[in-house]
Amino acid sequence: MAKPKVAFFDFAGCEGDQLQVANLEEELLDLLGQVEVVTFREVMKEKSDNYDIAFVEGSCTRLQDEERLKQIRKNAKLVVAIGSCATIGGINSLRNDKDLDDVRKAVYGEDARLFDSYAARPIDAVIPVDAYVHGCPITKEEFLSVVKALLLGKKPDIPTYPVCVECKKNENVCAFERGQFCVGPVTRAGCNSCCVNEGTICWGCRGLVDNPNENAHKEVLIKYGLTVDDAINKFKLYFGWQERKR
Amino acid sequence: MRIISKEDFAQFVNALIKDNSMDVIGVKAKGDKFAFGPLESASDLRLDYDVTLLPPKKYFFPQRETLVTYDTATGFSAKNEEIKPSVIIGAHPYDIVALLHMDEIFKETKSDPYYFEKRKASIIIGVNIQNMSKYCFAPQMGSAVIDYGYDLMLTDLGNRYAINIGHAKGEELLNKYAKNVTDALARDIQLVGQKKREILNMSQQKFDFPPELIPELLGKTYEESGFWEKHSEKCLACGSCVLVCPTCYCFDVKDDTDLSLERGERIRTWDGCLLEDFAKIASGENFRPTRPTRYRHRYFKKGKYLFDRFGFISCVGCGRCSSNCLPDIANPVNLFNDMYHETVSLGMEVALGAEPTVDIQTEGNIDYVPRLATIIKKQPMTANETLFEIKLDDGSELGHSPGQFVEVSVFGIGEAPISVSSPPTKKGTFQLCVRKLGNVTTKLHTLKEGDKVGIRGPFGHGFDSEFLKGKDLLFVAGGLGIAPLRSLFNYVLDNRKDYGRVMLLYGCKEPRELLFSEEMLALAKRDDVEFKPTVNWCPENEIWSGNIGVITTLIPQVNFDPETTYAVVCGPPIMYKFVIHDLKGRNVPDDHIIISLERRMKCGVGKCGHCQINQIYVCKDGPVFNYAKIKGVPEAL
Repeated sequence: MAKPKVAFFDFAGCEGDQLQVANLEEELLDLLGQVEVVTFREVMKEKSDNYDIAFVEGSCTRLQDEERLKQIRKNAKLVVAIGSCATIGGINSLRNDKDLDDVRKAVYGEDARLFDSYAARPIDAVIPVDAYVHGCPITKEEFLSVVKALLLGKKPDIPTYPVCVECKKNENVCAFERGQFCVGPVTRAGCNSCCVNEGTICWGCRGLVDNPNENAHKEVLIKYGLTVDDAINKFKLYFGWQERKR
Repeated sequence: MRIISKEDFAQFVNALIKDNSMDVIGVKAKGDKFAFGPLESASDLRLDYDVTLLPPKKYFFPQRETLVTYDTATGFSAKNEEIKPSVIIGAHPYDIVALLHMDEIFKETKSDPYYFEKRKASIIIGVNIQNMSKYCFAPQMGSAVIDYGYDLMLTDLGNRYAINIGHAKGEELLNKYAKNVTDALARDIQLVGQKKREILNMSQQKFDFPPELIPELLGKTYEESGFWEKHSEKCLACGSCVLVCPTCYCFDVKDDTDLSLERGERIRTWDGCLLEDFAKIASGENFRPTRPTRYRHRYFKKGKYLFDRFGFISCVGCGRCSSNCLPDIANPVNLFNDMYHETVSLGMEVALGAEPTVDIQTEGNIDYVPRLATIIKKQPMTANETLFEIKLDDGSELGHSPGQFVEVSVFGIGEAPISVSSPPTKKGTFQLCVRKLGNVTTKLHTLKEGDKVGIRGPFGHGFDSEFLKGKDLLFVAGGLGIAPLRSLFNYVLDNRKDYGRVMLLYGCKEPRELLFSEEMLALAKRDDVEFKPTVNWCPENEIWSGNIGVITTLIPQVNFDPETTYAVVCGPPIMYKFVIHDLKGRNVPDDHIIISLERRMKCGVGKCGHCQINQIYVCKDGPVFNYAKIKGVPEAL
């Protein structure tokens, strides 16, 4: 059987997720035993429109991006969103609360009129997406796990429970017990609670779980000493697009 | 009782570490908290801890553990791992009691070999509580001081430890590695007694009623209006309360394939009944979809279901659930107090109930390793359903009884419970009628004749074909429900003279979804079977001359004597209520209705917890139930 052809594409984002893939090191060769990479701007010159699986990084922030996304959807059998910007709108969605003209001026100054922009959104707001690799950035482990699932013809195993599950299994001291504030209780797990393992907090980069009890968690944040505004901001960092949709 | 100075105890621990013949594990500081971990030096030991983040059960039932390895070339194999002996230093009595609970649970019916191999290879050195967590209520649960369950038990007496010897293993360890151990004097024995009495008064938690009443109390509040909704309103469904629990044992099983896509491991990981998908099956049906129902299940499981089965309340009062719950709604003392006051205010009396009848049988080990089998024949039946004929490669018979199920493994994908569709009278091979739904069943459909699968089982309690002899049988099947029923139905046809009248009512959504259509056509021609099919609707481009309407529209069309007739019912979850209602309308007694239920049967052996409906394990106690016995089980239908 011919190896599936895969291609990588980027939209508004930092390309940090593709960098994780480029950095796979020892697993890279095993991976290349299973797939043929035909487009990957970060690591190769060649390009092709003939691919089976498209990995898309970054959020959609302009109308003209929609056309490109639709073309990718047309070319690919499977479209996989990689990284927060692509899966949940990511931190790009922070700007959605602000006046778009102000945002453009802040970024482009006097040339702002030359640059189109609209509310930042995840790519499934534009095209159907078959699978997600969450995270900011994605982890190598989860990327490989999703790729293996797709190659085996299996639905990738993306947890529906929050990060607390992994924190407990990893026997972390709860961020709240350390006097910090964390959105792990409403954030989709799958990262093996990597940030809390290192002594920091969960910022929510994998997005909200399917049925978060947001109000209960905002109450927790306030109970532990955050102001209402800070609690709301905690939710905005990564959940902006999802919260607006809910 | 023995005495050892603290210096000599430290020497003893260091000698154990130096010996390197076993893993030496002890309680150490972790930030401001404590955790069990490998000891590098006795000076890391913190026997003055209040509570550890996780209980020591992680050494016997780890967060992640390989059960089986697989290779498409060679099949499935048991995990082959040398178990290094271990000594665990510093377990509090409540955590030791919790391990004794786990022992009972993991040995019921069949023993879990992975749990017990580690349990047997370990030595537990307990320590009496010096500082009690503010959430701890172990004294009230009878697990704060114990004289069983440990190999050695330490009590801090200032400059020395008193050591109670609980098991010869502990004494041997002491003899081999400890120096200057003396017999305790009367004064020390008295001091230990005094310390233990002090421990019993250390708890800051307070029950407003004797906790022995918890099972009775729960028995009165299952459907209590608004109670569970109110208490779970702030539940984050994060599972923290169950993941840190020393007696929680539910697990999930997943396949982890390496990049060759040919080899991998079947992994068991901790799971929790508070988590959203815990009771969700491949069709998308979630049997405990809301936070209040899952929150309630946790308290019932601890306080009632396990009590009814094993005779103990499965809570040792460590308080970890309370201290790990951010919205502070997981404290069992608070919840049970509220429940007690509410029950009393409603005028209900709560008195100690009868002791449960505990009848735990245990025989042999659970075999998690599937047997290799070959797909002999693959017969598509509809767009989404295929009949697979399967032969075990070792040449043995499956040996099932009608109504039982098997766990089918597909390499790299996982395992799914599938009921056997063929009767035991069919020899050499067995049949599975499979609908394309989840990962395993979808992949199974892509396999070809000659391809390999794995089979575990048969599992569960099937239909009692002996008991049904001489009775009139009314089979009621909806959709894929025909699959398990067919194993009994065809058995009955193969032994036709042993049974009375045989009636089959079979319904599906539309004609093209009709399963076993050729067999159905043959049935229609038999005069010793009364067969009535129905479809919910018939699209214009399809042909249908039979009844149109849901399955219950067929019930008035058959005449039967409710005294001599047994109804055997299987279909989608929604169907039971209506069919049973109409059967009762025809005066069929409750105990003449036999049903087969579908749940998330992950392990198949009553351990993983996913298929549990109230106190019942569908995989073990079912999937076939007599309606009279299950009608009072609220989650059943």
